[in-house]
Amino acid sequence: MSSEFNLVTEQYDKALVIKTNGYINNTAGEKIIHEFSNHFVSSMNKLIIDMENSKVINSIGISYLLEVIEKLNENNGKLIFTNLDPAIEKTFNIMGLFQFAGKADSLESALK
Amino acid sequence: MEHNSLVEKLSLQAESFQEGFEILTKSRSFDELLKNFWHLLRGNFITTDIHLFHKTSKNINWNSINSERNISDSDLSFLCQDNLVPVTYFNNQKYNVVVVLHLSDSSYLGILFGLKLDGTGFNDFDKITLQILLQIFSSAHKSFINQNIEKKLIFELNEKVLQLNNLIDTGIELSRYENQKIVFELALERVVTLTNAASAMIRINDIKKNLKEKEISFPENLSHESILNNQHKIESFFEFGGKKYCLVLSEKETRKGVTSFNDLDTLLLQAVSRQLRASIENEYLLDQSLEKERIEKEINLAAAIQQKIIPKELPKIDGYQVAGINIPSREVGGDYFDCIDIGQGKYALIMADVAGKGISAALLVSTLNAALYSYLEFNLNLTELADKLNKLIYKSSPPDKYITFFIAVLDSKSGKLDIVNAGHNPALLLREDGSFEQIEAGGIGLGMLDLGISYSGQSLSINPGDKLFLYTDGIPEAMNLTEEEYSDKRMIDFFKKHSDQIPQEFIQSLVEDVRDYVGEAEQSDDITSLILKRS
Repeated sequence: MSSEFNLVTEQYDKALVIKTNGYINNTAGEKIIHEFSNHFVSSMNKLIIDMENSKVINSIGISYLLEVIEKLNENNGKLIFTNLDPAIEKTFNIMGLFQFAGKADSLESALK
Repeated sequence: MEHNSLVEKLSLQAESFQEGFEILTKSRSFDELLKNFWHLLRGNFITTDIHLFHKTSKNINWNSINSERNISDSDLSFLCQDNLVPVTYFNNQKYNVVVVLHLSDSSYLGILFGLKLDGTGFNDFDKITLQILLQIFSSAHKSFINQNIEKKLIFELNEKVLQLNNLIDTGIELSRYENQKIVFELALERVVTLTNAASAMIRINDIKKNLKEKEISFPENLSHESILNNQHKIESFFEFGGKKYCLVLSEKETRKGVTSFNDLDTLLLQAVSRQLRASIENEYLLDQSLEKERIEKEINLAAAIQQKIIPKELPKIDGYQVAGINIPSREVGGDYFDCIDIGQGKYALIMADVAGKGISAALLVSTLNAALYSYLEFNLNLTELADKLNKLIYKSSPPDKYITFFIAVLDSKSGKLDIVNAGHNPALLLREDGSFEQIEAGGIGLGMLDLGISYSGQSLSINPGDKLFLYTDGIPEAMNLTEEEYSDKRMIDFFKKHSDQIPQEFIQSLVEDVRDYVGEAEQSDDITSLILKRS
């Protein structure tokens, strides 16, 4: 894991994909929100966050993800996580994220 | 408007007010709440404009919520009312009604109503409707704030459950890995998650050398100095195995920026620090246990080699009695004795002791034993045999390994003894008439040096009633609990006093005497002896 958090965005017809790389903390959370706000358009109904290269998240990072979920709910969109590390999956379960967001084993299945 | 008519109209509106309240309470954000309220006002008042404003505290500027056009300062001046009542009505002004509503979270809602399109002013029905709608908004806003507080409380509660869970998982996972780098990385990952730290590091110092040994940071490759020099940091350290392990956390994150770590963070850091220490200790103990197991195996192997070489039974010699014993110590000392029938009524009596213990000593005994049997077959004289053995042991052993070696070849018919003593304890010869000799002649231990200097031998006769006693240093150097040795003197006295016993009984009683002397002290060296008595 590198010292700098970075992300890559891919746009599809109905979905926006954000691939994260690094520690999801306050800075990373701000970047995710910013990327979501800039690239999620009304024709989309799904945001997919691919966390293959993120193994650590703190509760500030989680609060940003909850904010994304709320914004998506306002627009009848849905958040789907893919490639979750088991420790992060457990964290999301405890924090109740899966009450409002989905998870998929791979990006391909999330896009379906 | 007549009272009855007013009541009737308001009654008809009641359902609409109820619906409005439900719409407002379903708002998912504050912006949505204001937007919905604006629509509600629009549906109830036919005016030129309705502008909404909001500010989070009294002394800051208003934010326009829904106006597409620019709001002038003169427009905003309408909102600077210091009236105690929230609603002010104007006649013949740009705005008919101005509302400044103090909300439950100390923020303010401002509303400017333009002129009614029918040109009339706000009548009683409008005024009551507005009061009801403001009350509805106020209640919906309170509900919205409470929902947010509830969400925050649920988040904080979940966060605490997560912390507890993480702490338990961290303890389990840290104990699962043997690789220290993985353990350190895992500890750092877990402690930043537990405390919302932006970064963390572990520094390991060698206490004796006062040297930095290793530094690991999370996130990786982050400047260690930036962590150590940060004003928002906490530390926890422990010492183990001559090293000091220091865990440092830097910058506690919040949504509003960086803050100082609190007491709970310190406790969590200390908890992870303790778990890390336990993991390092466990790894150390595991290593110790594996090393102990390896040594035990080596000892067992050494003992097996030694016991295979030591004779189970000694040959019967006409006109003589012979007995020997070897009691290996726990560490296996490398003692060796033998009595070999070399034909023509001749017997080789051997006593040897390898410097050192364990498998290497046992292997060297094995080499000596094999070589001895080979050389004895060639009927070499003893000094030549000792020279050859010296060369062989010198070549096949490390510099610190050598063997003290005593050999006596007995011609059982004549009683002649040819002797070489290569650095071993002197053999003791007690004559029938009570005279006593110590046989020391020979040279240095086998394998000590290879300078080409020959060993010297000695010949003497053993007559009826004479006894020859060979032993290793495990007997005179056996120590009791106060670390006093059994001593040569006590051994010689015992030999002189009990030598009339038959050899087997003498050896048993000597061993018992040594054991009585040593008491509870652990036997640190092999006990080996051989006695020959001419009948």
